[in-house]
Amino acid sequence: MPALKRFLLLLTLLLLAPFTSADEHQVSLVAHPDVDIRSLTRDTTRAIFAMRQRTWPDGQAVRVFVLPNNHAVHGRFTKERLAVYPHQLQLAWDRMVFSGTGQAPNRVSSQSEMLERIAATPGALGYLEREYLDDRIQVISME
Amino acid sequence: MIESKLFRWSSRCSPLLIALALGAPVAAAEEGPLDTLQMHGFLSQALVITDRNDFFGPSSSGSGSLQYTEIGANASLRPHQDFLVAAQVLSRRAGGDGSDARPVLDYGVIDYQLHSSQERTLGLQAGRFKNPFGFYNQTRDVAFTRPSILLPQSIYFDRTRSLGLSADGGSVYAEERLASGTLRVKAGVGRPTTRGLEDQLFSAGMGVNVDGSTSYIGQILYEHGNGHFTAALSAADVNLDLSSRFGNGELNFQPWILSLQYDQENWALTGEYAIRNVSLSGDIRQSDTTGESWYVQYTRRFHPDWQWLVRYDSLVTDRSDRSGSAYQAQGLGPSHTRFADDITMGLQWRVTPRVLLAAEYHHIDGTGWLPLQDNSDPSETKRRWNMVLFQLSLRF
Repeated sequence: MPALKRFLLLLTLLLLAPFTSADEHQVSLVAHPDVDIRSLTRDTTRAIFAMRQRTWPDGQAVRVFVLPNNHAVHGRFTKERLAVYPHQLQLAWDRMVFSGTGQAPNRVSSQSEMLERIAATPGALGYLEREYLDDRIQVISME
Repeated sequence: MIESKLFRWSSRCSPLLIALALGAPVAAAEEGPLDTLQMHGFLSQALVITDRNDFFGPSSSGSGSLQYTEIGANASLRPHQDFLVAAQVLSRRAGGDGSDARPVLDYGVIDYQLHSSQERTLGLQAGRFKNPFGFYNQTRDVAFTRPSILLPQSIYFDRTRSLGLSADGGSVYAEERLASGTLRVKAGVGRPTTRGLEDQLFSAGMGVNVDGSTSYIGQILYEHGNGHFTAALSAADVNLDLSSRFGNGELNFQPWILSLQYDQENWALTGEYAIRNVSLSGDIRQSDTTGESWYVQYTRRFHPDWQWLVRYDSLVTDRSDRSGSAYQAQGLGPSHTRFADDITMGLQWRVTPRVLLAAEYHHIDGTGWLPLQDNSDPSETKRRWNMVLFQLSLRF
């Protein structure tokens, strides 16, 4: 019986988990405060993170920041917000970098470094979990 | 105080000088174009072992051949938000002479993106560019972008690889984001680079000189949804001028490639079909052959860092003589030199993001894409042969 109870408790937690954590763990698209664009379409966001589009829609140069491929937040951002897999993005970057058609994004190792770099780099675009947001950066909404 | 001022002056001054040297607008220097400087590189070393026939060096004797090495380094810079300057130097040896490994300019382009909005991107490239040919040609020498150690040789043949490799000229590209997916078009005109083609196309004693002449290449690619389904059509019209003591001639190479890929999180199914016409006219030799190639490949990622692959790859040099029997009857060589069917099984392990280990096995019926430089006498080649390859690749 205790085993069944534990199982039911675990099941309840698993079922509730997506609802309780959805808000605080939602990965937001964030940018340097000098960026005038307030929202991006998902296709444009994907093109920018795939490094195929090099400017914001108003012409400002965009500087893309990403976490390592095996970072859980990177995985969630690419899958949930961009609807692509980390290995697809990596291959897209490699194909640009090694054919002279584009550049690789800037790598950061943690979300706190992401925050610092985005706050300090004009035109910067990246992503952060809600708990890392502060007033030195702005959130970009995705249509 | 003086020191720090000097330091600040020099650190501001150098990007400015470089920007000026590159002909970029001075205003861009204030944003620090050197901040956008990137350098990347790769190094791959393979061991090739065959039971019969030689591939990339003396692979059938002793403990195999280590003569398959690829080393490359590139740099890119955005001197202005709309400009990208990029160049790569490549040293590659695949059998042959050690001097083949001398570094060459693989590509060197100035890219200008003249339009970029939410819906579309439009750009121009000038310089030496890699031909957008099938899924893999543009980065064919970079192990990290290949699903296997050897690309399917029926389409990405290394035997006469320069035929479709790169060109010196200009190209335009456009990307259109539609409701259902993304459409990308690229078209270029230029003179093909002919590196090594003299010895690859003709036997060494003939002394034929090969020069690139005006050629065209184009690709249209459609990515449905999030890139889970991709379809592409590539075409080229490659022209070469031939000259020798027997007279002059022309070679025309017209390939069409249809490429399809279905890519899921843990597996991908890829297929490409190519039909290509090679015609020789003039004094040296006259011929007109249409060849056919296709492959189907399944890759499975069974762990985030591990992937296996199985592939069937088929080449027919002349569609009107699929078995090569007419070729043999004319006394031109063994029939098995006119086709190749290759069953491949491979394994890749990404030890770290910068280290890749790979192994693969090929069982091949036919020698249609076997490099001539490794097997100077086609009549001595064997029809059925096996090959095992191991490769270590590093990147930075």
